Amino acid sequence: MAEPEVAGKLMPLAEAVKKLIPDGCRLRSGGIAVRKPFAVIYEVMRQRKRDLTFLMSGWTEDADWLIGAGCVDKLEGSYLGLEALGLAHCYRRAIEKGVPRRVLIEEYSNFGMTMRFMAAGMGLPFMPVKSQLGSDLLKVESFRHPKAQVLEDPFGSGEKVALLPACPADVALLHAQRCDADGNAQVWGQLGDDLWGTYAGKKVLLTVEEVVPTRVIRHDPNRTIVPGFRVDAIVATPFGGHPYQVQGYYDTDRAFRRDYAARSTTREGWESWADEWVYGVEGHEEYLKKLGEERLARLRAKPVMSGKVNYGY
Amino acid sequence: MATEAAGVPAPPYKRTELMAICAAREICDGEIAFIGTGLPMLGGMLAKHTHAPNCIMIFESGVVDARPKRTPLSIGDGCLVPGSVMLCGLTEVFGLLMQPGYVDVGYIGGAQIDKFGNLNTTVIGDYRNPKVRLPGSGGANDIGSLAKRTIIMMKQDRLKFVQKVDYVTTPGYLDGPGGRERAGLPRGGPACVISDMGVYRFDPETKEMFLESFHPGLSVDEIRNNVSWDLAVSPKVRATKPPGKRELQVLRTKCDPEGIFLGT
Repeated sequence: MAEPEVAGKLMPLAEAVKKLIPDGCRLRSGGIAVRKPFAVIYEVMRQRKRDLTFLMSGWTEDADWLIGAGCVDKLEGSYLGLEALGLAHCYRRAIEKGVPRRVLIEEYSNFGMTMRFMAAGMGLPFMPVKSQLGSDLLKVESFRHPKAQVLEDPFGSGEKVALLPACPADVALLHAQRCDADGNAQVWGQLGDDLWGTYAGKKVLLTVEEVVPTRVIRHDPNRTIVPGFRVDAIVATPFGGHPYQVQGYYDTDRAFRRDYAARSTTREGWESWADEWVYGVEGHEEYLKKLGEERLARLRAKPVMSGKVNYGY
Repeated sequence: MATEAAGVPAPPYKRTELMAICAAREICDGEIAFIGTGLPMLGGMLAKHTHAPNCIMIFESGVVDARPKRTPLSIGDGCLVPGSVMLCGLTEVFGLLMQPGYVDVGYIGGAQIDKFGNLNTTVIGDYRNPKVRLPGSGGANDIGSLAKRTIIMMKQDRLKFVQKVDYVTTPGYLDGPGGRERAGLPRGGPACVISDMGVYRFDPETKEMFLESFHPGLSVDEIRNNVSWDLAVSPKVRATKPPGKRELQVLRTKCDPEGIFLGT
């Protein structure tokens, strides 16, 4: 696929994945059901990455695809399912039958995982929470020991907290609405766990719907969630969150998600789905062509514009 | 309309509709409600359209006081965003609103429950070699640990209402009276279980679940046969109040007109 030569952090998708995501790394996916970095996930599958430790608060198709593709060795997270569409079947096959390979999971709660990301983002070794106490999330360990510890307040209140270890990532993925050429990234709508999850990454691979001139960013700096100097690579991927929604750009492709949920119930069905939508597609541009302009047009968001604020002084 | 085996006419509503309506009735006006995907979402929307216009719906993706104009398919649905009062993230919703105790009521589901309301959404069978691997906690543990009270919504049979859950994903009252306090949980616990067969509450002394009402058309015996422990039954047990005309109409026309969660 012919992609334009660009200087600096802006690069083609295949190059960014090749450079930033080595086999065996700790990779953090993004978004609790919003702005998920699916364009990157597809490319990770196409490049047949191996032995990833995949980190996330709430996974859905992103983890199920990587597990089905045999890219994942371990998971640290809290939820893996297709939400209202049911169970994640690649995950089930991997855990229940070792197909296509065994994976291990160390599990926490959603809040627990974001606090682990927060600890990593802040450069702290652990973070306390008041949930998870008394549950098997604290007691049942998989590959981390200890996965958590209960501590009584050393300042004498008698209160108990669960201490959870920081969850650093070698690479954090973020799919944002827009950024400038430096990678100053702006996000709106729900933030999910993207704020802390992004900062947990030693490196950040940013994909965006649009690269905009810096003045657009500087006109509305409150919307920036990560400054460019924390970003290592930028890839412009319009519809890069498909089949999920990106606020102000497009809605969830419910038909696509339903089709996946139905076909992935068997391994053969999953393979035919992956051949059709991942391995048989050269890159993101071809993926969009395959979806077709008519389908994309149907998904495009109607405008609901914000008001304006006065940044003057 | 289909009739049941005994020749009794089927009621003019679905069990899922009754469950969503029961969920709505648990929210008082002005309360802060933490809402998950599915029937709880319909319950929250219905409450807001009927008896609780001032309740505030919070979603873990980071939405405060959502006013959705269609049925949200997911907690991340874009329709939750326009018209809300605040957008933030999961850490802020759980850390700043839930953990310090500002959330009155939270909804969770489960694959298995025991008599103390402990819930399993992690595995069926042995953890390391499970028969069925389920999604895991997600936010359920946080909601069940930190909301002032929780409402549990799930389907019922003997394999779901069990003596001992295979994995405690979300604590109910753990091993009974004082269990939550001993574990260090700050508050809360299950207030109510809404199944497709009946509505249950918890005894304030023993912390044990008891049957408060059976859904119309079912008997206490049928419900007992679908619980694997010796179920306590309220001396005032009665039939669940059937859906009102307005409740059904709002549910069907405003909350889930496509039947996404109610079924078609």
